[in-house]
Formats: sequence, structure tokens, C-alpha cells
Amino acid sequence: MNQTAAAAKACVAVILLVAGGAKLADLSGFSATLRLFLPRKTPHLAIRGSAVGVVAAELVLGGASLCWPGGRWLNPVILALTCAFVIVTAAGFAIFRGRSCRCFGALSSKKFDLLSIARSGVLVVAAGLATGRLGPTAALSDLDSALLAMASALLVLATFTAVRALDASATNLGRT
Amino acid sequence: MAYSVIFTVISFLLCVAAVLAVFGIIHVYMSGPDAIERDGMLSGSVAPSWSLSDSAGRIHQSPPASGLQLIIFGNHALKAFPSLLEGLRELSDLDPALDIVVLSDGDSSLTAPFFEVIGLGHFAVIAGSRSLYARYNVRVSPFMILVDSAGRVRASSLVNHDWQVTTLYKIACLEPDPADQPGTAHRGNQLAKA
Repeated sequence: MNQTAAAAKACVAVILLVAGGAKLADLSGFSATLRLFLPRKTPHLAIRGSAVGVVAAELVLGGASLCWPGGRWLNPVILALTCAFVIVTAAGFAIFRGRSCRCFGALSSKKFDLLSIARSGVLVVAAGLATGRLGPTAALSDLDSALLAMASALLVLATFTAVRALDASATNLGRT
Repeated sequence: MAYSVIFTVISFLLCVAAVLAVFGIIHVYMSGPDAIERDGMLSGSVAPSWSLSDSAGRIHQSPPASGLQLIIFGNHALKAFPSLLEGLRELSDLDPALDIVVLSDGDSSLTAPFFEVIGLGHFAVIAGSRSLYARYNVRVSPFMILVDSAGRVRASSLVNHDWQVTTLYKIACLEPDPADQPGTAHRGNQLAKA
């Protein structure tokens, strides 16, 4: 059980970090998706603020889960977040079928479809497995935590840079 | 084995795998047509609505009150833009009622005089923000989207040649009303797929 929970926790954390980093690099695109779910008259600043909030939640929760896996309070919060993803993808499928979900910013061209709901469901299952009892040796040493914090930062930075490079290469097509 | 060791090793491996996966995806996108084929909107989908003033201070809105509206994403400084001018002129003659709007991603104060000089001054030039481009899912330019008065996308594609302008318009006119025939929607970049 320990190993399953550890693997699931690490998987969910890494997925959250990649998703957060990719969304951070394409905030305009993600804001456009968020706009679909918000009232029509919602101010641009509020939409952008919501987008930043979602990105921050993903990065903080992913990073914290990876660096301090012993924190039991993180598990239900991450489980709730993944459940929210399922609700959003289901609503997107029902109302905005075929539109880009931008779950991974410009990194993905995935749309609101049945597969996106299934993917979110898998994430919920993984988050559920991660809530399993980790055992008495759950706390990482300071060195391990520091190394994983560095790995998390590098992962987010690499994702951010890669998505920005992709966006720039597409935007510059046909330019003088 | 202690949980902390298992967790640390798995986490490191996953981080490395994630970085490799991200760069692999980027490589696939950058080396193939996927980089541009995923842009635009499905025909039949609901187009974003907005109301903005052009460079002359006139208010324009999308979707249009009647007929079709051609939204051009890009600006006169684009390398491919001169290739579109004859197509735009032909289209303007073909359907004088067509509402043509240029959502300029550059300096719209320079784009508007450009259209004046080449005799297409009746085109509305509006400063298009990055977030507005994102709402249309457009990153590459010059890109065109045709929207009808019901607010539905009729056609969308990257355009590099003048013949593509008129072809896209014809596709939009041939497109059945999506409200009548659900499930007939096409992905954006219809010309690229043709």
C-alpha cells in the first residue's frame, strides 16, 4: 500500500506541476477557456485573476505534495481539486463540446470530449490512491525535500520554456 | 525499503520522464503541421462576441447584425499579407455587403493607413489583443474566420494566398446551417485539410 500510494502521489504531483507550468506559459489561452464558464460580463481582470488562481493552486499543491508528502492535509485538497477537474470537463463536454480545454495550456490540443472526462477520472483515482496510509516513514529528510523542490522548479521551468517556444514558433510563422 | 526513498526515486524518475515527454510533444508539434492545424475554431461552433471601436472610432460588433463577417487576424507587416490583397479585393467586389474586420495584432495605427493607401479603406481595423486572439484559438497569422449573424463560425483557416481567401468564402457560403445539421462541423484550417 505504501508503494502504491507513493507512486500515485508522485504521479499526481508531477501532472499538476506540468499542467500548472504549461498553463502559466499560456495564460491568455487558459483565460479564454475559463471565460466560457464564467458569466458573460465578468471583467477581464477577474478572469485573468481566476486563471492565475488555478495555476497557483496547481503549482503550490503539486510542489507541496512532491516536497512534503507526509502532509496528510494535502491529500483531500488534491482529491477535491481533481474532482473539480472532472466536473469542469463534464460541464465542458455538455456545453462546449469540441472546444479546446487547454488543460495543459498550448502543450495540448485536447478538447472537451469523453476522453477528457476519462482522463480526469483517472486523475481522481490516482489522487484517491494517494490518500492511502503512507506509513511511519512518510517524512522526507531535509535534503530529499530540497532536491525534490529543485526538481519541481526545474520541471515547471522546462515546461514553461517549452510551451513558450512552441507558442513563439507558431506565432512567428509568416512574419517578416 | 523506506517510503521516503521510494517516493524520492519515483518522483525524480517521473520529473525526468515528464520533461522528456514535454520536449517530445513540443518536437512533434514544431516539426509537423500540427503546430498550425490545431488553430481556429470548429465550423458550427459559437464564435466569441465582442464590441470594439476601430481606428476611426466606429463601433463594430461580432457577430454581425446581418450577413457574414470576415475576421482577419494579422497585420500588414506579415510576410504573407501582400499575397492576400488581391483575394481580399476580389472578395470585397464579390460581396459588397460582407463585413470585413481586421483584428490587427500589430500596431493598428499603421495598419489602417495601409488599407487606405491600397484602396481598401472600408475595412475596419481594430486592435486585437492577445486574449481576443486566444478566444478564437488563433496563434498563427494571417488567419481568417467567417462568422454568420447567428454567431456561428462558418469557416476558419490559415491563409497564405489570395485564392484561399475566396475559396474560404465559398466554403462558408456552402456550409450548411449548423443548427439544422449538427455533427457536420469541421476543424479549423479547412483549407489546410482540403
